[in-house]
Amino acid sequence: MFLEQAINGITLGGIYAIVALGYTLVFGVLGIINMAHGEIFMFGAFVGMLLVSKAGVPLPVAFLGAIAAAASMGLLLDRFALRPLRKRPGASHLASLISTIGVSILLENAAHRIFGAGNHLFETPFSDIRFQAGSVTVYLVQAAILGISLLMMAGLSLWLSRTRAGKALRATAENLETAGLLGVDTNRMITATVVIASAMGGVAGVLVGMAFNFINNRIGLSMGLKGLAIIIFGGMGSVYGAMAGGLILGLSETFVVAYGPAGYRDAIAFVTIIVVLLVRPQGLFGQAVSDGKP
Amino acid sequence: MPVEWLNPYHLQVGSFLLINVLLGVSIYITLSTGQLSLGNAGFMCIGAYTAALLSTKCGLPIPAGIALGAVLAGSAGVLVGLPSLRLSGVYLAIATLGFGEVIRAVAVNWETLTGGAVGVAAVPQMGRVLLANLADAGFAPGDAGLRPNQFIALSVFLILLAVTALVIAFFLRLDRTRVGRAYAAIRLDEKAAEAMGIPVTYYKVLAFSQGAMVSGLAGALFAHSTSYISPEDFTYHRAVEILVYAVFGGSGHLLGSVFGAAALTLLPEALRFVSDYRHMLYGLLLVLMMIYRPQGVIDPPLLRRLHRARAEEAP
Repeated sequence: MFLEQAINGITLGGIYAIVALGYTLVFGVLGIINMAHGEIFMFGAFVGMLLVSKAGVPLPVAFLGAIAAAASMGLLLDRFALRPLRKRPGASHLASLISTIGVSILLENAAHRIFGAGNHLFETPFSDIRFQAGSVTVYLVQAAILGISLLMMAGLSLWLSRTRAGKALRATAENLETAGLLGVDTNRMITATVVIASAMGGVAGVLVGMAFNFINNRIGLSMGLKGLAIIIFGGMGSVYGAMAGGLILGLSETFVVAYGPAGYRDAIAFVTIIVVLLVRPQGLFGQAVSDGKP
Repeated sequence: MPVEWLNPYHLQVGSFLLINVLLGVSIYITLSTGQLSLGNAGFMCIGAYTAALLSTKCGLPIPAGIALGAVLAGSAGVLVGLPSLRLSGVYLAIATLGFGEVIRAVAVNWETLTGGAVGVAAVPQMGRVLLANLADAGFAPGDAGLRPNQFIALSVFLILLAVTALVIAFFLRLDRTRVGRAYAAIRLDEKAAEAMGIPVTYYKVLAFSQGAMVSGLAGALFAHSTSYISPEDFTYHRAVEILVYAVFGGSGHLLGSVFGAAALTLLPEALRFVSDYRHMLYGLLLVLMMIYRPQGVIDPPLLRRLHRARAEEAP
């Protein structure tokens, strides 16, 4: 029982981590919170659902479809909601927050118009296959989710630390102007970051569909809010913080549902944020800046 | 002979408009120190549930319940504000967003007190209670030439109008006092304000709890105007709606938020096809406003121009 719950928690945590990575990448480079990330993720999930359940294509193709859809939405988001604000000098740091909130509301209600408010079944072809290891049952779906999320996290870490583009991205995150002076095309880097983060959102969307077997137009909001909680918990802009925070949140939610008041499951994330902000405002893996404020 | 043109439905729309104006005021106050709060729906929830539960479960008179609702929301504002105001903009927005979600989770889960997801029904409606009291005193709405439902809607509207006018007058006055100037100084440059000797944290918490209190007041009045509340009334979408009022109308002046709330409440009424796409429109508005007019439709220069134009007309 305990082990099975732990596996459920890690599976959920892996998905949370991927969602949170989308936020943390954009925050690290642009210094803004992309409130529309949850909704881009939701559209990724819907595209995946349409491909798997309605068009009957194999799962990997569905992943590619979701990635393509989410990435192009990221491109549009950057083009129409973020870049115009970057060009204006002296724009308040709240402007981009408000602008992305606008995009998120727009997308959520567009999904409501297109797909309706009900749940959509997300059928995974191998949803019934499971393994028995002693008394513990592991579903193939869970193993696949865990594998994919680990692969993505490892890939992202390698890309950021080893490749030229990854280094350029880190330089841009470190200091936009200096990176620009050193010959990094920062505008392209910023667009690339938003697109990559959105593509990861698309993958996360399909993973959520696989994990819960259904999706609706509200998962963007609920998963998005958790992603926000995780990046505050793990430290804004910290890649490893997002991974660790996602796993911790997934595990604690699963155990609260199993052994505690299940109704408060969705509140855990926020109680955590409030406590973290009070005790350690820079987050688990974040670095404190000079004046003590995050 | 009833006054036929007095349409209870229009009065009800007017009442909701006034409640939204109060919410617009509430977010303006926190924004006037440069802080973005996404927790106003949560404070509204506290005010609404306090007022509703005190009158349904404890039989407290409505005005007392409304006052307590506002005070409790204001105190919650101090409790949330004190620690989280150490945080800068974006963090505060997320922390208050989290606060709103926690309040809603409590409202959904504490079923013995709040009735859970179903909410609180049969909250005494201000107009009906007033009518019943007046009927005891020998008054019938017919005496004033009104049908009962006209009288109920009209009295709710007038009560809200009086409260809203008082709140707006108070905060317009506040703008010209030391407190208002401190708010403006903090908004323009927090560090400079601190260097000038303004106790920044004190004023930020004050503004935050004033905003929370007005949200709570709006929530309490909302509960007693609709007679039914549920956690669904106080979701993240409500918080965003409140934000849109200030962003669209203008966050640089109190009248901007008031205008924003009024305009965006009337828009779906005036254009029927808009009401289906209301939230999509809100989203689009937020993006477009941030790009083309981040200070909102009404800003202090515009108000000054209008003022001058009026002064020239009547020398």
